[in-house]
Amino acid sequence: MLTLVYGGSASGKSQIAEDIICKISEGKNKYYIATMKVGDDEENIERVEKHRNQRKDKGFVTIECPHDIENAIKEMTSDKNALLECVSNLVANEMFFGGEIKEMEDTVNKVKDGIKTLAENSDNLVIVTNNVFESGSDYDPTTLSYMEALGRVNRELFNMADEVYEVVVGISMRIK
Amino acid sequence: MKLIIGGYAQGKLDYAKKKLNVEDKYVFECTLPTKEENEELNPNGDAKIIVSSLHKWIRKRIKEGGRPEEEISSFVKKNQNAIIICDEIGNGIVPMDPFERVYRERTGRILVNLAAEALEVERVVCGIPQKIK
Repeated sequence: MLTLVYGGSASGKSQIAEDIICKISEGKNKYYIATMKVGDDEENIERVEKHRNQRKDKGFVTIECPHDIENAIKEMTSDKNALLECVSNLVANEMFFGGEIKEMEDTVNKVKDGIKTLAENSDNLVIVTNNVFESGSDYDPTTLSYMEALGRVNRELFNMADEVYEVVVGISMRIK
Repeated sequence: MKLIIGGYAQGKLDYAKKKLNVEDKYVFECTLPTKEENEELNPNGDAKIIVSSLHKWIRKRIKEGGRPEEEISSFVKKNQNAIIICDEIGNGIVPMDPFERVYRERTGRILVNLAAEALEVERVVCGIPQKIK
């Protein structure tokens, strides 16, 4: 089963996504697929630390997979239940960290195909993705191209998903 | 306590004032009532006080080095019929400016906590309320 959790920054979507995967996996093994490239950025380190604390007693095995997301499946040995967080970082990593900036269409296809493979080989996959689309479009062409890529990936994932939830102020609403 | 959220200029305040029949003197824009104002307007603790543009108040308090999380939480405890209105500001690209990122994060978390405590949460789009809690 594929479940998508969509929401803005600090909307409480991670918490909701964790609750969903914990419920579906019913105490079996579960994996946390982290896409953020942490590096030595203090803010990122702090953010990752906060998320780790939040899920520390929930029994996740963490897989770091900032790009080529289909590879995460190789590290899932049994009970293939996973929470993938998050698509906005994955799209940014695929687009910007490969030496040169990847074309928008190529980025969309790469991410979409990778997630499709992952979903098809998982028992239950919950994916967190972001709403970055509601504060206008007054951005430079590179940022707009990134937004376009994320928007298209989101639409592809919405089509693929069995269930989609939008999270607003910590409240989830089923929209598919 | 009721929480009303939505984008900029969606008619959140108009909706709240009409629906709950609140006079202007009970409406606080970008600020919380002072202790004196609170005592005068809400002597029994059951008045409907509206705090509008909460996000702007949060921004101001962060800049002033205040503790918006604790301040708003203590306000809603004392004013159980309060109506809190706030813009949704987290649905955009991660801001370049570090302060803007902190502001966005803290506002989002405050709203998640308020929503958890609220008896009712409504999201207003084009003046139309959608009850989400």
